[in-house]
Amino acid sequence: MKTPNAFAQFRILLANGIKSELSDLERLISPLLFALTILILFAFAVGEVEPDMRIKLFVAEVFLTTFLALQISFSRVFEPARTDKVFDLLRTYPVSYNAWFLAKYVLVVMLGLSVALPTIFIGAIMNGKALANVSIWGIIPVTVLAVAGLSALGVLLAAITMKAQSRQILYPLLYFPMTAPVLLSAIQVSVTYLEKGIFNSDSKAWFLLLASFDVIYVTLGVLLFSELVDDSQ
Amino acid sequence: MLKIRELTFGFRSRRLFEKISVELRPGELVHIAGPNGAGKSTFMSIIAGILAPQKGTIEFFPGAEAGTPVDDRRKYLEYLPAEANGMYTKMSAVENLKFWSNLRGRDVSGRVIFEALEVWGLNHPVIRDQLAIDKFSTGMKRRLALARLQLSGVPCWLLDEPIYGLDTKGLEAFHNILKSHLNAKGMCLVVSHDLKPLEGLPTQTLDLATGRISK
Amino acid sequence: MLDAKDKKSLYIGILLAILVLVQWSVGMFLAPVDAMQGQVYRIIFLHVPAAFTAFFSAFMLFIYSILALKSKKDSYQQMCKATAEVGLIFTAITLLTGSIWGRPTWGVWWTWDARLTTTLLLAILYAGYLLLYSSLEPGPGRTKACAILGILISADVPVIYQSVNWWRTLHQPQSMLRKGGATMDPLILWTVVAGILILILFSIWLIVQRKTNIALQDELETKSFQQIK
Repeated sequence: MKTPNAFAQFRILLANGIKSELSDLERLISPLLFALTILILFAFAVGEVEPDMRIKLFVAEVFLTTFLALQISFSRVFEPARTDKVFDLLRTYPVSYNAWFLAKYVLVVMLGLSVALPTIFIGAIMNGKALANVSIWGIIPVTVLAVAGLSALGVLLAAITMKAQSRQILYPLLYFPMTAPVLLSAIQVSVTYLEKGIFNSDSKAWFLLLASFDVIYVTLGVLLFSELVDDSQ
Repeated sequence: MLKIRELTFGFRSRRLFEKISVELRPGELVHIAGPNGAGKSTFMSIIAGILAPQKGTIEFFPGAEAGTPVDDRRKYLEYLPAEANGMYTKMSAVENLKFWSNLRGRDVSGRVIFEALEVWGLNHPVIRDQLAIDKFSTGMKRRLALARLQLSGVPCWLLDEPIYGLDTKGLEAFHNILKSHLNAKGMCLVVSHDLKPLEGLPTQTLDLATGRISK
Repeated sequence: MLDAKDKKSLYIGILLAILVLVQWSVGMFLAPVDAMQGQVYRIIFLHVPAAFTAFFSAFMLFIYSILALKSKKDSYQQMCKATAEVGLIFTAITLLTGSIWGRPTWGVWWTWDARLTTTLLLAILYAGYLLLYSSLEPGPGRTKACAILGILISADVPVIYQSVNWWRTLHQPQSMLRKGGATMDPLILWTVVAGILILILFSIWLIVQRKTNIALQDELETKSFQQIK
């Protein structure tokens, strides 16, 4: 009997992760419901807006809501494995830590997009007037890049705070400051695109920042996850 | 062969055990004894790879004698924790068994899984496919974990209170699979308050407090 | 009674404290009055060194976190915690002095410029780090989790700074809180530079003191448990 190679393990862990998430729909639906509530609250609190502020408000509102909802989602990513000592048992299996991290990462990106994209579309519908002349499809690439970065950091932070008693407050306290660059980049690029219809040279700089953030954190994730989880040395 | 040499571990507050050495050869069964709080579960977690020892080494050799140790002993061990079963509680029995077997590279067919479940009385279609694990009773969960143990196909078993929550039939099934495992040149380290299931099997006892091994 | 090592460190501490006071005095009394801001600008002699020190602590946190991760020695972990504590103090000083400077000068208690914003986020991250430290059971698990968080936090600081910097330059002209440029009086410039160096040295001394303190606390805890047994 040969232990599967890292890629095969990645597939097994990812498939299992997806099954595990789908088997507990509350985990998928509650962040979305939360996002919807926040969007409604925003609309209610802000009311009528001058035409030149509408796009900025839409972008800020939608990305902020996504951030808040994702924070909830991400802080819970290891919860299925925390129950019944599944996490510990996984560590006693001949699992490649890189495969484990990447499987978790890809799963979290999928979860993140399943929250971010509906939030953008629902927000667009609620802000119909603002977006009458623009297409929101242009902000999808920046959303994907943003979620890619947030997910790497999200998984790492979830693993770091897994055993901490004050996890509920600690996670957001760390998550929001560290992801400020992603929030800023996503908002700047989206506002430029929606107001001007194109990406300009500033947008390029922001895209580059986002891409660097993604590369830094996925790399750190792969390098540090095994250090974090492997207690046997 | 599992070779443990001078294993030492303690927390800040106290030392648990010092310089424990034991060798486990194919067909051997070692029972770890000690009072509550002696560190038996901690000892097992260290062998399983969850915790690092403070001093000492753990090596696994493919044959019956020492030679070149394997690079990753986790390929040859299956661990059963005390008071937990390591199951995804929102998934079904079959889904869990399939996952853990696949992770070991055993692409088990449905039939093999059903046979294992049959041994443990869990083979009913509703129980195995449609019930999430969190709906199982304590005994059922434990039996499922033992089914996974059976399916693992590894030579070395690390069992921490394996019979917790089992009824008479379960105890009997456990005794039988342990016996077959040892007869097939498997080895086993076990922590258990109840020694009845080990009766009739060639058991050595390791006293964790003194490090002495008696037959 | 102090032993020789403690005495040496006390003398170093006193020396550095004197240097800090000398630097402040030069700034308070000898440096010329600023044409536009009057006397209140003098707070930069504390604000700027404190800001540099706060970020220098982040750099030290980075280095010691890597060391703690590689070698698993307790002393590196203790240095990390000390660095985070001292870093938090200096970020607080930076924010406070920044506010005090901002109010009479530009009429605002706060502005979202790159440096202040990054300092604020860094303060929150230091607080989070210390919170993680106190929420985990002592042991190798805590050392690793904190070391990794330390690396993540300090790696993020330049990214945060750059993003806020770009964000601000898009929306308003160059930050009002620049040190000044070629037109700065040499005495002011050198006093600030000296202040940065001296305060960094002083913070290192504080970190070492605090680390020794933490190490003693740990030792005391371990021994007292053993006594109970």
